[in-house]
Amino acid sequence: MEEMILKLKQEIIEVLNLEDVQPDDINNDAPLFGEGLGLDSIDALELIVLMEKNYGIKLQDPAKGKEIFKSVNVMADYIQKNRTK
Amino acid sequence: MEKEFSYVILDSGRAVVNGRSLEHEQTGNAMLAELYRAHIGDWPKFFKMDTLSKAGFVASELLFKETGETRCGQDEFTAHRAVVLFGTTASLCADTNYQETISDRDNYYPSPALFVYTLPNIVTGEIAIRGHFRGETSFYVVERPDAAQMAFHIACAFDDDVTDSVLAGWVDSRRNDDFQTFFTLVERGALEGLEDRIRTIMNNLNI
Amino acid sequence: MERLIQCMADNVVSPLGLDSAANYESVKAGKSGLSRYGSMGNVRTPFTLSRMDRGVLDDACRSLGIPTDRYTFFEKMLLASSVQAVENAGIDASSPRVLFVVSTTKGNVSLLGEAQDFPRERVLLGVAARQVSDYFGNPNSPLVVCNACISGVCAQIEAMRAIRSGRYDCAVVVGADEQSPFIISGFLSFKAISDDFCRPFDSERRGLNLGECAATVVLKAADSVPDGCWQLVAGAIRNDANHISGPSRTGEGSYLALKEMLRFCTPDDLAFVNVHGTATAYNDEMESIALSRAGLSDVPVTGLKGYYGHTMGAAGIMESVLSMYAVKDHTVLATRGFARQGTSCPVSVSPELRRTDGRQFIKLLSGFGGCNAALLYRLNGLW
Repeated sequence: MEEMILKLKQEIIEVLNLEDVQPDDINNDAPLFGEGLGLDSIDALELIVLMEKNYGIKLQDPAKGKEIFKSVNVMADYIQKNRTK
Repeated sequence: MEKEFSYVILDSGRAVVNGRSLEHEQTGNAMLAELYRAHIGDWPKFFKMDTLSKAGFVASELLFKETGETRCGQDEFTAHRAVVLFGTTASLCADTNYQETISDRDNYYPSPALFVYTLPNIVTGEIAIRGHFRGETSFYVVERPDAAQMAFHIACAFDDDVTDSVLAGWVDSRRNDDFQTFFTLVERGALEGLEDRIRTIMNNLNI
Repeated sequence: MERLIQCMADNVVSPLGLDSAANYESVKAGKSGLSRYGSMGNVRTPFTLSRMDRGVLDDACRSLGIPTDRYTFFEKMLLASSVQAVENAGIDASSPRVLFVVSTTKGNVSLLGEAQDFPRERVLLGVAARQVSDYFGNPNSPLVVCNACISGVCAQIEAMRAIRSGRYDCAVVVGADEQSPFIISGFLSFKAISDDFCRPFDSERRGLNLGECAATVVLKAADSVPDGCWQLVAGAIRNDANHISGPSRTGEGSYLALKEMLRFCTPDDLAFVNVHGTATAYNDEMESIALSRAGLSDVPVTGLKGYYGHTMGAAGIMESVLSMYAVKDHTVLATRGFARQGTSCPVSVSPELRRTDGRQFIKLLSGFGGCNAALLYRLNGLW
């Protein structure tokens, strides 16, 4: 899981162009949205693309993203349970 | 008496503010990032922008530094500023990048973050957000750089009584790392000589 | 004396008709151009779209003498609409006193995706626009307004200013967009498209539909606008300065644009406000807030996306033209797809035709980049 979380953080940093952010800067339990990383609605949509492209998870309803993107831990957990690749 | 005007020129290997060259080691998009870190630094959304918006954003910020507007738009005056930009290639660079995400049936992952920049007026929005400008924002696509045409449409923006000043410029990007832009600030009642000034700047920019 | 701006002629080419009158009659009768699609090119998610029949467009072009093999679909749409409008206006479009203003969002972008018999340069909007002005033998460099979804209103505003300045006497303002996998996939990636017919302002709305259309207005300088003729009175463009894709939660830019129009009329003068009404959750909510802040909650509101979908570069022009026909017909057009109010601020929207004796209307649009635009048209004199 640890390895998976690190990889996920690197993927998030890359697709969202979080230029000056290191994986260690992202707290596993901290909310991805709201304060902190300064992510917005386009970032949320881009995370949906990331889940489909890298893990084969199709998310039709963007509102579901709110739950899944609560934190890196929650997101990694969801990916583990639902990934098709 | 004709007023002194400030302008900024940026292309893939050059950054010039009122005739003074700014130091940089990199070229292309890396140069924009270098300038951002050296002179701006407090707007991480910069790294999410496409080349067109990055070039426009950095050029406008360098211009405001020069004119001494520390953080604009908070007062009544700049809240009514218009942003009027011109170009020939518009979002061609972003279009090509986005097209790559949908061309291959087996690797079809359309990117919303790339798609949004296929609208060339996004650069005007990025600048308006940063400066809190709630006036007009317009992007005009023209056949070729033409100082008379640009000066005419910049003057037209003052037809709106609310518009006190126009952040005007040229911004083009045919491909990643390749861009040409200049920005200048035009105030109401100071339109005399605008066409000549734009022509001089464009000659300098080699467009 | 200030030059007034008169609308001399108009034309709309769409799946609902090949001229403005036919379009108006179709919409009044409740017809829609929308249908469901399962896929297009690499797009394999279902969507609903109003698509122009290519054969019908080619026939229309041929009957107007436009050579169909020389132009792309997008250019043919622009030409089919503008050739008819210029003829109706009775102007000499080859005069240097005439300016061509083209409104589009993506123009010939489909040339990037498909192998076609056109030079790649045509993907540049200025080059595409030149095909139109050259067709008329106009010597001026055409201006392309590319302000996302508000382009059609901005193009009319810029034409108005260009005429007011005295440099031009007349402007041909024409807008269109082609719905290709490029645009459809992009809006799908934004989760903004409904696979079902769109439901503007409705509590069950689930997103927008896209559509194809071309529309033209010919604007001309006038010392006075004759009775029974249309005057473009005012227009304004304002930015939310909030977010590049999300509408402002306070409707800031739309509110400011509406407020500017209310310097030239009172709410009581208005037959209606023709809104953007895309049927996305955020857009319609934002517009309801802006209308309410501007004191327009009681003015009839009408949206046309249920008939045409979102026609992008054509929207601001086509929706202005249909509004002119409606006012002359004492009618507030029905908002197709609306059943039950679904915005936090109440707006006067209806699925039925309503009667009006108002003689002015506001056309409102908003779009990506945080931009918003409004314009005010007035029908002159008693009629």
